[in-house]
Amino acid sequence: MASVSKHPVTRALLSLALVLAVGAVFNADGAFFQWDTHRDMLRQVSVFGILACGMTMVIIAGGIDLSVGSILGVCAVVFSLFSIHMGLPDLVAIGGTLVLGLLCGVVSGSVIARFRIQPFIATLAMMVFARGLAKLISGGKKISTALELPDGTYQYVDIPPIFDLISARIAGENIAVVSIVMLVSMAFCGLLLSRTPWGRQIFAVGGNEEAARYSGIPVGATKVLAYGLCGLFCAVAGICQAAQELQGDPEAGSTYELSAIAMVVIGGTTLQGGRGSIWLTLLGVLIVGNLEKILSINAVGEETRLMLTGVIILGAVLLQRGE
Amino acid sequence: MKAFTLRLLPFLLILGTGVPVAAGTPTPNPRQPSQPASREAPRWTIGMSQCNLGEPWRVQMNADIKKASEAHPEINVIFKDAQNDNLRQVAHVEEFARAGVDLIIISPKEAAPLTKPVSAAFKKGIPVIVLDRRVLGGDYTCFIGADNRRIGKAAGAWIAKFLGGKGKVVELKGLMTSTPGQDRNSGFREGIKGSGLEIVFEADMKWLEPNARKEMESALARFPVIDLVYAHNDPGAHGAYLAARAAGREKKIAFVGIDALPHEGQMYVKQGVLAASFEYPTGGKEAIDAALSILGGKQVPKEITLSSRVFTRENIGKGGEWLSN
Repeated sequence: MASVSKHPVTRALLSLALVLAVGAVFNADGAFFQWDTHRDMLRQVSVFGILACGMTMVIIAGGIDLSVGSILGVCAVVFSLFSIHMGLPDLVAIGGTLVLGLLCGVVSGSVIARFRIQPFIATLAMMVFARGLAKLISGGKKISTALELPDGTYQYVDIPPIFDLISARIAGENIAVVSIVMLVSMAFCGLLLSRTPWGRQIFAVGGNEEAARYSGIPVGATKVLAYGLCGLFCAVAGICQAAQELQGDPEAGSTYELSAIAMVVIGGTTLQGGRGSIWLTLLGVLIVGNLEKILSINAVGEETRLMLTGVIILGAVLLQRGE
Repeated sequence: MKAFTLRLLPFLLILGTGVPVAAGTPTPNPRQPSQPASREAPRWTIGMSQCNLGEPWRVQMNADIKKASEAHPEINVIFKDAQNDNLRQVAHVEEFARAGVDLIIISPKEAAPLTKPVSAAFKKGIPVIVLDRRVLGGDYTCFIGADNRRIGKAAGAWIAKFLGGKGKVVELKGLMTSTPGQDRNSGFREGIKGSGLEIVFEADMKWLEPNARKEMESALARFPVIDLVYAHNDPGAHGAYLAARAAGREKKIAFVGIDALPHEGQMYVKQGVLAASFEYPTGGKEAIDAALSILGGKQVPKEITLSSRVFTRENIGKGGEWLSN
């Protein structure tokens, strides 16, 4: 395998080509060759892809964030509450939700930087806390267009236009808005990581924290930045999730952190930190998305799906391992 | 390395003891049995052990119990949420028994692990009402639950009639390793038997809306004609609807779900999203009724099967229609 290529992007492309080849063989009566199938695949992975953006930065900075799914959940609830139940203007609802996500991330980052707590543990705490917060705010119920009145009956309200706008498709119905949001998020991360001093600092901190410290890089602030941005992307993902479900589900995003981490790692960004790129993550997202789509259009049974997914994750990571 | 281990310690402790970190609030565990019969205090304490408050249906069950109990100042209900963990629920039942509550209501996560603690409490003389899911054997006072198989069968018969006996149907299954999933599947298959309905696509969506949407997108990609989607719960039917709507095909497909919670399935029917939703009653109110009878010294049947309603566009205004069989 080592002879295939030394470059991680080439290796990720190879994995993707392999998955696409499998899809071409098991094409489910040609369904795999229709653009609609891939358009829907891109829609379905978008929320995960947006989470993977923030996750990529955190992992490059040498950390991990287990709280992304829960922060997504609380943000989905808050966004729905703001716009459906309280009828706040779109910009306020979106802005407020983004601030909440950012805040969650900044808290995780600050705890990690200030108290030198393992990211695994600090974000585990945030994961549990944010899920509890989502349940508290929503009262354990989905925030939907049914408003419960004091007498126990329900009043039904219309879904705000912003929800339809985010869950719509553009360019002649050919791509979902949420997929565009994912691609823009990735472009933002790509520019930040490769073209700004902050990006270089993230790589430096993840590569060798002590060396970064001695060369005058603000290690703590860089970590807060990485986790803060990760939280911000969780909020973006939460808004997209709520818009697509037409409701804010306090359980939304459970176990999404695992998918996001898997996408980053399958792309080829190493968990050791200091190396990787957002483009690798894009490839990882496409690999996982296509894989799920192929299993789904062929109506493969759940047990086989889980086993195949496990084998393929391992295979992709083995393929990624440069010898 | 030492420092790392030390930092890892709190995490290990959390894992080891299963202390709920932020979600859920453990209730205090009084060592003395029952309260003294003072003037203000309720006469009876009921312990309610819920297996998982992560599901809206179970949130509704607790809400139903709370609402029913508030009408009776003589009882006080203590709620515990096992957060989908068998062993935590075992501990909750043991805590209730040790605290000497007057009656236990339990909606168990699984039968086998909870049979022993329920049996122990029952043998200690504490009446136990088992709600929704069963325990093994007969060491409990009363079982209250709905019959998923019967509901699935009714849904199948309704769908066969709705489609005029023929059509292409997508079945979005809950989780086929769970009994509700199995029963809603086998009952449905029984209900449509003999009709000309064809199941063209079936998939597990694990009760989750995003999964249902994903699977439905695949079904839409493969089959140009789909007449109806039967989903094992309302969020699943709603997810399928969203997929069809995105493909511009929602008008040609009917969607049927199960559960019919007021703010979920019933709302979807009212909004015209679902053609029908079949109620899966929580039994919360019935549990409190039975508890009051038992505490009042009256006999209750060992088995209470809840009847359920179907909500359609035609009957939703009248509060649904009771299923006959």
